[in-house]
Amino acid sequence: MKLTRRMTLAAFAGVLALGGAMPAYAADLIAIITPSHDNPFFKAEAVGAEAKAKELGYDTLVLVHDDDANKQSELIDTAIGRGAKAIILDNAGADATVAAVQKAKDAGVPSFLIDREINATGVAVAQIVSNNYQGAQLGAQEFVKLMAEKGNFVELVGKESDTNAGIRSKGYHDVIDDYPDLKMVAQQSANWSQTEAYSKMESILQANPDIKGVISGNDTMAMGAYAALAAAGRKDVIVVGFDGSNDVRDSITSSGIKATVLQPAFAQAQMAVEQASDFIKNKKSPEKEKQLMDCVLINGDNAPKLETFALKN
Amino acid sequence: MPNKLTWLTLGLPLAALAGLSLSACKILPTPSAQGGGSDNSSAFNPDKRVKDIWASKVIPYLQQKAGPFAEVHALAKTDPAAAGAKYGNPKKQANSPWTFAVRVEGKIIAANTQSRAATIDVDVDGDGKADARVQIGPAMRGTAIRDSLDFVQFNDFTNQIDFAQFGKAFNAYADKMVLSKLSRDGLEGRTAKVLGAYTIESAQNLPLVTPAEAEIGPKP
Repeated sequence: MKLTRRMTLAAFAGVLALGGAMPAYAADLIAIITPSHDNPFFKAEAVGAEAKAKELGYDTLVLVHDDDANKQSELIDTAIGRGAKAIILDNAGADATVAAVQKAKDAGVPSFLIDREINATGVAVAQIVSNNYQGAQLGAQEFVKLMAEKGNFVELVGKESDTNAGIRSKGYHDVIDDYPDLKMVAQQSANWSQTEAYSKMESILQANPDIKGVISGNDTMAMGAYAALAAAGRKDVIVVGFDGSNDVRDSITSSGIKATVLQPAFAQAQMAVEQASDFIKNKKSPEKEKQLMDCVLINGDNAPKLETFALKN
Repeated sequence: MPNKLTWLTLGLPLAALAGLSLSACKILPTPSAQGGGSDNSSAFNPDKRVKDIWASKVIPYLQQKAGPFAEVHALAKTDPAAAGAKYGNPKKQANSPWTFAVRVEGKIIAANTQSRAATIDVDVDGDGKADARVQIGPAMRGTAIRDSLDFVQFNDFTNQIDFAQFGKAFNAYADKMVLSKLSRDGLEGRTAKVLGAYTIESAQNLPLVTPAEAEIGPKP
């Protein structure tokens, strides 16, 4: 594949030559690539990473891949072509991303993954992810308590290509399935999407009017499900989400959704930038590639302290 | 590769025409896409792996590391780092709370066997108040046993799913081998002797201990 590499390099050289207007004193560049900012979670990541990078004296290139692995691959090319010194990436698929991150590595650009894992080690410099299993267990335990250990429920699952969808579902079931009186009457993927969750919830509710609870793999789907339930006059249904968004916080404080699980997205993105900076400046890799950050249960007790994916003291 | 003559006569103009000719390149799978050295998920059997190390590594490690609950918990409250160095897993994730190996010995003063996540509350210092809550299954929370072991690292697993399954397998094994055999009736007033682990959580709740070994004494 040497030929391709040479061609690509030649193409980049062309881009660089054309970009001659770039000032020579430009600061080092960090590329920040995440899924669509429509979901406030990813927006918080991008904002957190960008703020930290600027604070440390870097230029930033903020891009979104919309959960499209092909688009992600093009964005990685863009980052390499623009001479990024590091890539902060919330990726578009645990398997599909491995090759893209390898491509960046081969071009000498280290990747620092946040939020989602890839199914390989030694390719990215760091993979900093929320302890989704621990978080899911917290959410499920609260759900079990709210349900009083019995009743029919629905599970909304996230996007299948994302390890987090599976791990949260597993965390939920490892807790819930220990209670035989809790019966799952429907389990569907709404692909992390609020609108999709709304329409799925509408049809699930028609088929199963006797549900008592909904446990959702993320907050946007929880918002969609709750909106559908409210529209059908079923505000009594217990809804639990995952992420810790401001939207769900507001719903909890106004007695809508009952609970969620906070992922420290903002802190996570900032930590990734700090590690990237350490790598750029001191050639120092973090002690461990895979790093877990614990999640925190959010319910009526602490919801008012939640702001942009962080708990205030 | 096509034969050399063809390549020489056709290859160059073709390459020039097509911009990049991949016709002579062999498509090989990217080695890293196969999980580079870590476990193959399909071959990963968490229950078997726990069974294989339980008696030979897990129990000896906890026996050697564990301190009496009152001592561990007092130190954990005043100096978590010191408690961690002595009773915790020094190779824990930097952002995770400490998980300590402990022995809980005392009198059962309350029991909740209504919930599937059954527990006993144990008084270890004889003041009549519960000091620790011990899970007795079958439903168990958390991954304290896994997290207490310094020879189990998240980095050694393909992803969180495998790591999670491994954590759950410890609880399931403890339940199958030990907890499911414990008596469930008239627990109050009896003695309990437990070797296990607990993770520092919020200060309001009783520390929740996950047992690896447990005995309940006869009725008084």
